[in-house]
Amino acid sequence: MHELPVDAYTSQEWFNLEQEHIFSKTWQFAGLVEDVANAGDYISVQAGLNNIFIVKGKDNRLRAFHNMCRHRGTQLLRAVGKGKKAITCPYHDWTYNLEGKLVSIPKKEEEFPDLCNKELHDCGLNLHEASVDIFKGMLFVHPEKDAPNIMEFFGEVEPYLGPHIPEELIEYQEKKDGAFYTKEINANWKIIVENYIDQYHLAHLHEDTLNMYDHAKAEFGWAGPHYYFFEPLVPEYLADVKNASPYPLMDKMPEDKMGAYVPWLFPNIGITESESAWNTFHAIPLAPDRTLVVIRSKTMNVSEWEYTKQYTKSMSSKVWQNIGNKGKYEGDASDPMASGNFMEEDVYACEQQQKSLSSPLFSVGAQAKNGEFAVRKFQSVVKEWVEKYRDND
Amino acid sequence: MTDFYQLKVLEVKKETADATSIAFDVPLALYKTFNYKPGQYLTLKFNIGGEEVRRSYSLCSSPALEEPLRIGVKRVKDGLVSNYINDNIKVGDLVDVMLPNGRFFAELKKDNYKTYYLFAAGSGITPILSILKTVLLTEERSFVHMLYGNRSQDSILFNEELEKLQKEYADRFILVHTLSRPKSNWSDLWLSGKKDKIHRKGRVDTLAIEWFINEYPPYAQNTEYYICGPGTMIENTKKALQDIDVPNERIFIESFGGVTSSDVTEGIDNASLVAQLNGETIKTTISNGKTILRTLIDAGKNPPYSCEGGVCSTCMCKLKSGKVHMKNNLGLDKSEVDKGYILSCQSIPLTEKIEVIYE
Ligand SMILES: Cc1cc2nc3c(=O)[nH]c(=O)nc-3n(C[C@H](O)[C@H](O)[C@H](O)COP(=O)(O)OP(=O)(O)OC[C@H]3O[C@@H](n4cnc5c(N)ncnc54)[C@H](O)[C@@H]3O)c2cc1C
Ligand code: FES
Ligand SMILES: [Fe+2]
Repeated sequence: MHELPVDAYTSQEWFNLEQEHIFSKTWQFAGLVEDVANAGDYISVQAGLNNIFIVKGKDNRLRAFHNMCRHRGTQLLRAVGKGKKAITCPYHDWTYNLEGKLVSIPKKEEEFPDLCNKELHDCGLNLHEASVDIFKGMLFVHPEKDAPNIMEFFGEVEPYLGPHIPEELIEYQEKKDGAFYTKEINANWKIIVENYIDQYHLAHLHEDTLNMYDHAKAEFGWAGPHYYFFEPLVPEYLADVKNASPYPLMDKMPEDKMGAYVPWLFPNIGITESESAWNTFHAIPLAPDRTLVVIRSKTMNVSEWEYTKQYTKSMSSKVWQNIGNKGKYEGDASDPMASGNFMEEDVYACEQQQKSLSSPLFSVGAQAKNGEFAVRKFQSVVKEWVEKYRDND
Repeated sequence: MTDFYQLKVLEVKKETADATSIAFDVPLALYKTFNYKPGQYLTLKFNIGGEEVRRSYSLCSSPALEEPLRIGVKRVKDGLVSNYINDNIKVGDLVDVMLPNGRFFAELKKDNYKTYYLFAAGSGITPILSILKTVLLTEERSFVHMLYGNRSQDSILFNEELEKLQKEYADRFILVHTLSRPKSNWSDLWLSGKKDKIHRKGRVDTLAIEWFINEYPPYAQNTEYYICGPGTMIENTKKALQDIDVPNERIFIESFGGVTSSDVTEGIDNASLVAQLNGETIKTTISNGKTILRTLIDAGKNPPYSCEGGVCSTCMCKLKSGKVHMKNNLGLDKSEVDKGYILSCQSIPLTEKIEVIYE
């Protein structure tokens, strides 16, 4: 009934296996296209066991390299930056160009007389290349130089995504360079994924927070290793959506497709594409029982004034008198279950479930045939990836 | 490989004032043999004024479409074959044609996800058109960004076909025309009638290329760059790409030959030639201005060759003694030249005695 042992959610051994066999062998979310906007801009990301940086060339093409000096392995670039012309290791100033080619070594003749008698870039000490590509306005990296192309990985799920064009939207940021939402959650990353793709809980845990969507009409399934999901707005919200929507409506969204597209891309990036916002939901495993969730949010690229007008209309819409306005339990807003915030409800449910995993009596008693089918499927995909490699090792 | 097949001309179409396209009928039995990759060319053989001449012409048709093999031939001023074709070829004629060949082609796969940058100028559109059509047809997810240079709107080859492709594949195909001498009111016409048509004034040069790539950056990050055009266009385009750090292994070029006008080197009159060819040792004299290849052909011999333009390297031989000057060398790389290889179709003697061997 449950595809994975409890161990998979609690042990360091499983955590390591996943890091090695899942997160170091798949296309990993690295950010949004605008994070590397101009020639010389770069970002670096941890993708499983690999730290990889992406840099944009003058030809507007992205390059990806392992962020590791070929001399003694020191990390080359920190976080993000702009206008790089060359990459110099902080440790001994070995320098590479933006093609990853080694171009200078201090005191080369004195200290490395026998290194190689060819040009530096032919000495086999260029940066290890990785792959980078764009899918739906998002950057992805893969540790291999000749990675399977990204559309072979995402191609099957693409037709199920929303009509949104993320490149045309702007990011909603409360503080500069900060993501919309960042939280360390005390649960295994898979608990969080399973919660995300669990259709069964929507009408229950979120009975008063997500009831602007019509859960009974949800369409969901599996495409490749990925999960897709769509549900329309409830008729009451749809009828007044132009006023009730909290932000200006997505211009690319035809009325008959109005709703929420909430796919999960294997292994660890969800997207929430709604009538008024487009979010990435990145679950980054930190430890067997700890996961960092980073949500970035994009909305329509229109003036402040449009936002103000929409907010005013939304506040006075009758729609919100009946739906989406309160928590499941009565009580103080500091109680997640009374907060009226669906994210807090989810975090609460995930952390409580993780806690129970250490009980000797823990087991999954039953699984909903439809509403939880995706949970089981996801577990089987995880198992497949881990076992595929474990057997071969 | 240097065998000829007689193909029947199926259609002759005047494309512009000075260019014609010719379609060939390939008999069913030869279908497989005549298979080609987009970007490759045919070599045609004619007998004009008692002399056998061969010229290569890129296929502008697509192997992915059910369409006959087609080439587009643009008149070259005082050119022997290009004018002969434009003036004389008619439907039903039989033409001697070699199998498709050439190293300039795109290796396409259905699942590829790439951005193709295509740079064409003038008649250089022919292989580019083939690549364009074949990419759009076979690689459903790949993008094509194309910059096409011409003198004016009247000289745009295959304009109609390009417009059709633009409509059909609007989401994956960007085409920008750049015109060195646009007709005065053309830009207005362009803008008023067809709103989203994009054009630019000028040539395919460094500025145009930088502008184009900044304006249309790649979405799929696996990019390739294909270049074909006359004169210095290829060199300039390649240089412009290298200047913005496009790696050489992603750049592919096709040259149609044509001697650079700055080349005024003259050969030695009546040098003696010893050539080893097909197991025979031929002794003859290279008369005034002729190439080694022409000398051998005129002596009634059968040296291998196809483009006679210094491009295909079919005519390659090894220089055993003496010195030659190659009017044009687009076929051999430096390491081959260092080993003594020469293109006999381009070589004129610089010493009294020349000895070569066709290996
Ligand atoms: C691989 C390859 C593919 C080709 N594909 C095409 C094609 O698709 N369409 C096409 O029209 N041509 C193409 N050509 C060029 C073609 O083969 C001939 O070179 C061209 O038609 C001129 O031949 P000609 O006999 O008319 O001129 P020639 O009598 O050989 O030359 C006359 C004069 O023109 C100059 N000249 C020769 N070639 C050129 C040229 N290309 N541009 C400018 N001046 C030149 C010569 O130096 C000479 O001064 C291709 C060539 C190659 C090598
Ligand atoms: S015949 Fe083609 S290079 Fe000489
Ligand atoms: Fe939830």
